[in-house]
Amino acid sequence: MAESSEGEEEGNLTGGNQHLVVDDDLREMAKKAAWSVSSCKPGNGVLSLRDDNLDTYWQSDGAQPHVVNIQFQKKVKLQLVVLYVDFKLDESYTPSKISIRAGDGFHNLKEIKAVELVKPTGWVYISLSGSDPRETFVNTFMLQIDVLSNHLNGRDTHVRQVKVYGLRLNPMPRQPFQFTSTELITYSTVR
Amino acid sequence: MYRNAIFMCERLCAEFPSETNLQLLASCYLQNNQSHCAYYILKGTHMAQCRYLFALSCFQMDLLNEAEAALRPPNESSAEVPNGAAGHYLLGLIYRYTDRRQNAIHHFNQALSMDPLLWAAYEELCILGAAEEATSVFSEGASLCIEKQYMHDELSSKSSQASSDDHIVVPNRSLGVEDVSPRQLKDMHGYDVRDISRNYHGAASNQPLNGGPATFSFYNTPSPMATQSQLSGVAPPPICRNAQLNGPNLRAFGADSSPRSVVNSAVPGPRRKFVDEGKLRKVSERLFSDSRQRRSMRLGGESLVNTNSSASVASGNGTNHSSKYLGGPKSSSVVSRSVTIRKGQSWASENSDEGAHYDIYDDSRLDITTSSSSPRGDARSLEQEGAARPSGPVVVSGSRVAAGASEILGLLMILGEGYRLSCLYRCQDALDTYIKLPKKHYNTGWVLSQVGKAYFEMVDYMEADSAFSLARLASPYSLEGMDIHSTVLYHLKEDMKLSYLAQELISTDRLAPQSWCAMGNCYSLQKDHETALKNFQRAVQLNSRFAYAHTLCGHEYVALEDFENGIKSYRSALQIDSRHYNAWHGLGMVYLRQEKFEFSEHHFRLAFQINPRSSVIMSYLGTALHTLKKNKEALEMMERAILADKKNPLPLYQKANILVSVENFEGALAVLEELKEFAPRESSIYALMGRIYKRCNMYDKAMLHFGLALDLKPSATDVAVIKAAIEKLHVPDELEDEDAL
Repeated sequence: MAESSEGEEEGNLTGGNQHLVVDDDLREMAKKAAWSVSSCKPGNGVLSLRDDNLDTYWQSDGAQPHVVNIQFQKKVKLQLVVLYVDFKLDESYTPSKISIRAGDGFHNLKEIKAVELVKPTGWVYISLSGSDPRETFVNTFMLQIDVLSNHLNGRDTHVRQVKVYGLRLNPMPRQPFQFTSTELITYSTVR
Repeated sequence: MYRNAIFMCERLCAEFPSETNLQLLASCYLQNNQSHCAYYILKGTHMAQCRYLFALSCFQMDLLNEAEAALRPPNESSAEVPNGAAGHYLLGLIYRYTDRRQNAIHHFNQALSMDPLLWAAYEELCILGAAEEATSVFSEGASLCIEKQYMHDELSSKSSQASSDDHIVVPNRSLGVEDVSPRQLKDMHGYDVRDISRNYHGAASNQPLNGGPATFSFYNTPSPMATQSQLSGVAPPPICRNAQLNGPNLRAFGADSSPRSVVNSAVPGPRRKFVDEGKLRKVSERLFSDSRQRRSMRLGGESLVNTNSSASVASGNGTNHSSKYLGGPKSSSVVSRSVTIRKGQSWASENSDEGAHYDIYDDSRLDITTSSSSPRGDARSLEQEGAARPSGPVVVSGSRVAAGASEILGLLMILGEGYRLSCLYRCQDALDTYIKLPKKHYNTGWVLSQVGKAYFEMVDYMEADSAFSLARLASPYSLEGMDIHSTVLYHLKEDMKLSYLAQELISTDRLAPQSWCAMGNCYSLQKDHETALKNFQRAVQLNSRFAYAHTLCGHEYVALEDFENGIKSYRSALQIDSRHYNAWHGLGMVYLRQEKFEFSEHHFRLAFQINPRSSVIMSYLGTALHTLKKNKEALEMMERAILADKKNPLPLYQKANILVSVENFEGALAVLEELKEFAPRESSIYALMGRIYKRCNMYDKAMLHFGLALDLKPSATDVAVIKAAIEKLHVPDELEDEDAL
């Protein structure tokens, strides 16, 4: 899993990042969320961000920063944001500085993460955990991904896919800790 | 072959429109799985058998109201349900699916009393939870009942033989008699096409065919060999079955007198043909002298010319012998089917015997009422004593009937008792009962999968797995119970075996809901809940009355946090089968998550009442009680769960939880130490112990245990929680905000 953390960025793209690999206890949370973008060129709209097709992309068409808004129906615990961007294909359209903000709505978004990508080619993983080991996830109604600048100072940006991951449901409700061994998991539910 | 039959029937109906012909056409359509065609043709018919077929097609098209109205017309409350036991069975199913449990039970019981070998009715009673003990159902009384029916058939066939046009209304017999022609449809597979067309030609030009739906009638359809015997022994193809209850039949019959002559000429043809092909015929030829044979055929021919209906009735005799009293349920029941064929073979020879005998007696108006028991095998003496009624063969065969019947009933008794007990979730008793079966029956797919199911209900997954594997070996084609097998593998987390099973099942039968359930379980095990849900939805589409598919859909919805749809799915499962404890449990879980504790406790309790053996349900009930702050009861429930199943560590863990919340730390630690024996590498045990030590202010031990817990690779959230706990080790608990406990 490539880490893009604060400071000096390596959108670190080894061959492995051509495939999306995510931990088992995470699941994609944004299927039922409301997605919107600040601007787009006709034909390259927000749908292209979610169509599981790496050939289609969203192209913005306005002033920077270009923004993708994701609004959930209830507060969700999010841990990971994954973007697919490709310098080789998109060159000056490739995002370079990205800021992730979270909050209850448009009025109180607060930046929780900022990354800078350097010539990324593939899936870029942006973890949302804070430095505090207790905060592995962010519990929020809304997430906003801001593209602050592009490579080679391009004006508009291309993003091909975005996925947002959060915690799975605990298979056993009201348990302080989850089970890890088969002996307990086998007996943990009635199916 | 059905296409041919349908085509011919349509010509017949065009030529002689009448209800009986329509009935035949409808039965052809039903055999060919075109119930909508049958529905349209039979709309508005009045004959009993037609109404039955109409109800059946409505049932298959899911139009339960119309089906019910057909079987039980609302303005005639005292009307007899058509088609005897099968009719009652169908009516019972309709009531079951429209939620009228008492009526359903009543009708299933009726069906069983009319035909004690209708296993499917007993099964349904077990599922509804209202079955009587198998010993009382499949008892001596039942055996006598079967015997009586058999005898009755004989008598009635004699009487209608004696009186030419006067059809004696005998429900049993007519039902038995109807089997033949549609049965021929089925059994004709091996025959020459010409035969069939000739057969049909004979049929078409002959009186309307009353062959009711073979598979749906009271008696199971006669085995092919027996069919052979009738055909050979009897003049026209035994299609001129007019022993229906209704007048219109007779009239139709009478009206078609003209074509009969055509039939006569057609007769020798098929008969000869069948003589060639009937293996049984050869057997019977060996039994009889040739002269007798020819004589019987000749007599049969004569009788045809002389007596119109009696000839048909004579054929009816043959039919009756062959129509085994092994009235089986729908042909899907493997056990009874195999038994039928077995008996059929042993009986066939005797039947041809009797068929021949009865032909001889066609001419002579015999007095039916004699009950002399002249010895059977002595054909010559029978010939001489023209007046002697062939009650000899009847009586002898009667006792053999009794013997056969009681043997079958003995078998059914064990199977029935086992099934009833497993539906009541008295799993250990059910297992003990199944053990009593003879080896050859125990090692069949059905029984082994029932055994597997019983182990599953007792939460003994290893045994269940081995039983199911044996079942797969015994009948690799059978999908019965394989959905439960896939769930067992899911619980055991055997993803290789599970995916193998799923692949096999899909390749065996793509249209069975069980295969898709297995596939869905496979994906669910890999946490791909969306695909799993899709698979389960497919299973539901394939058979919307398969309760378990709905329950599994519910589980997947809940895993995707879509509680609304989850609840809906569980409710649909419960609508189909209100004793499906998995669905009750699922609902309880949903309410637990939604923190509606009262509801959750209620649902868990319902699940527990249905299946009191499952220690997992018990421990969840305990948890629910704990959330309601009824800690004492919760602990009791946990104790019960622990006792119920020594191998299940879950109740121990839950018990520890409860003890922690009531601040009984020593007790909790003791339990957790015990639990360590069960699952030495379980991180949550150490985490909980760490927490307890922290509460007791034993920081070193707490630190040690948290460290151990972290080493054992807990899930990501737990890592965070534990790390946080370590950091805040010296901070009193009240200042932390704990979110899950």
